[in-house]
Amino acid sequence: MRIAIITTHPPSKGSLNEYAFHFVRFLKTKVEDVKEIILLLDELPSGESYSFSQEPDEVPIRCIPCWKFGAIDNVFRITKAVKEVIPDIVLFNIQFASFADKKIPATLGLMTPWVLKRSGFNVAVLIHNIMETVDLKSAGFGSNSLVVGIIRLAGNIVTRFILSADLVAVTIPKYVEILERKYGANNVLLAPHGSFEEPTDTQPSPMPGGQPTIMTFGKFGTYKTVDLLLQAHEYLQKNHPGLRLVIAGTDSPNAAGYLKKMQEKFSYITNVEFTGYVAEEDVARIFGEAWVVAFPYTSTTGSSGVLHQAGGYGKAVVLPKLGDLAELVLEEGYDGEFFEPTDWKSLADAIARVIDDPDRQMEIGLRNYTAANGLPITEVVDWYLIHFQELLKRK
Amino acid sequence: MEIVKQENGSFSVLKLKGRFDAHEAEPVNTWLQAQVEKQCVNIIVNLEGVNFVDSTALSTLVRGYKKCRENNGTLRLCSLQQPVRVIFELTRLDKAFDIFETEEEASVAI
Repeated sequence: MRIAIITTHPPSKGSLNEYAFHFVRFLKTKVEDVKEIILLLDELPSGESYSFSQEPDEVPIRCIPCWKFGAIDNVFRITKAVKEVIPDIVLFNIQFASFADKKIPATLGLMTPWVLKRSGFNVAVLIHNIMETVDLKSAGFGSNSLVVGIIRLAGNIVTRFILSADLVAVTIPKYVEILERKYGANNVLLAPHGSFEEPTDTQPSPMPGGQPTIMTFGKFGTYKTVDLLLQAHEYLQKNHPGLRLVIAGTDSPNAAGYLKKMQEKFSYITNVEFTGYVAEEDVARIFGEAWVVAFPYTSTTGSSGVLHQAGGYGKAVVLPKLGDLAELVLEEGYDGEFFEPTDWKSLADAIARVIDDPDRQMEIGLRNYTAANGLPITEVVDWYLIHFQELLKRK
Repeated sequence: MEIVKQENGSFSVLKLKGRFDAHEAEPVNTWLQAQVEKQCVNIIVNLEGVNFVDSTALSTLVRGYKKCRENNGTLRLCSLQQPVRVIFELTRLDKAFDIFETEEEASVAI
């Protein structure tokens, strides 16, 4: 089969780029099932370009930058590109703000699965969050209740557009239940997130040595914030001289300038490193040096890829007491220390419970390593291929 | 988890009992691989005694299913308990696998 994937992909810094990177990395090894992968990607800033390594025994990849984050006409751009390549399956790797940070272009972009389905293509959507579980205010959408209400209504309509696809994959069981109950959907399936790293014979150490280091990783400024973490770090330094805080990642597309503002505001706190964008080759080092990975989230918008990554590196984590993350931890066998999401002292205490207790640090790290390696993403890719084959057979 | 292996002429049967999860998946995976290598690619996995499956267990079955199919064989499932059937429905893998009520029905279909 020939598969077109609408997604972001490094070096694009759009959300879900890393998930796409690993998904494609394994999809291109499935030569028995896949004849061609066509990546329909977001356009990069001037001077940057996509490049893909290609071995002779791998599925060929064609890359077509055809849509632009924030553009109002993404639905037309993507539809035109799909009609030109005529794939057997179109797969979307998206979340509700994948196409724009403004309401109208974001909504129009999310109509694309429906348009393609109406055009006769076989459409599958991997949606990483659903509107029903997103705290829109915290996620940067909507400044008052009326606006949030309107967005929720629009969200219901957009969800119906997405559910018009042949298959809709979600990564959390609760999402299947919500979509089936609220929308009467019968085409939703649970597909595990999967681990980005392949299991190795050498188990990574939850306790890397060196200076004790707190690390947080992601795109910050909306529901992932660093102010409480910086306050917690300042507090912990009193009893942990030499403690480092590494804030790895960039601003969220919805919060340009956020990290610079935080850096200036908290410039008096020592031993803090803002790494900026972390290139793929530096990810292992950044995680490797961490004693604990912190998730300073005020809400969640779905399954956390960073949690799976932290698990893949055998790291202990501190997590907010929030619905999706807590559920994921329980259902997928992860462990961590929990904190109240709006309380920096609670966050500091959770971090201290890890870095002051080597046994607990080791216990959480090894448990997370086992959980993350339970299902590598290469296996998840096989699930998708089986579903696609079933879909094509039905057609 | 208890594992009982049977070779029955044109097909092999794997009977599992207990919890089928990440900790128990490896012996099943090894057996399935060995069957494929021996070209015994018509397989029935009897899950009558299994009360829990996790994503790793499902992946083990998916891998076995793919390998059998690539070798012109088949991997069938039978006798699923209700909690296990729910997991197959949640993941829609019930649409991909041929699932039978009894081992006898599964064997007749081969």
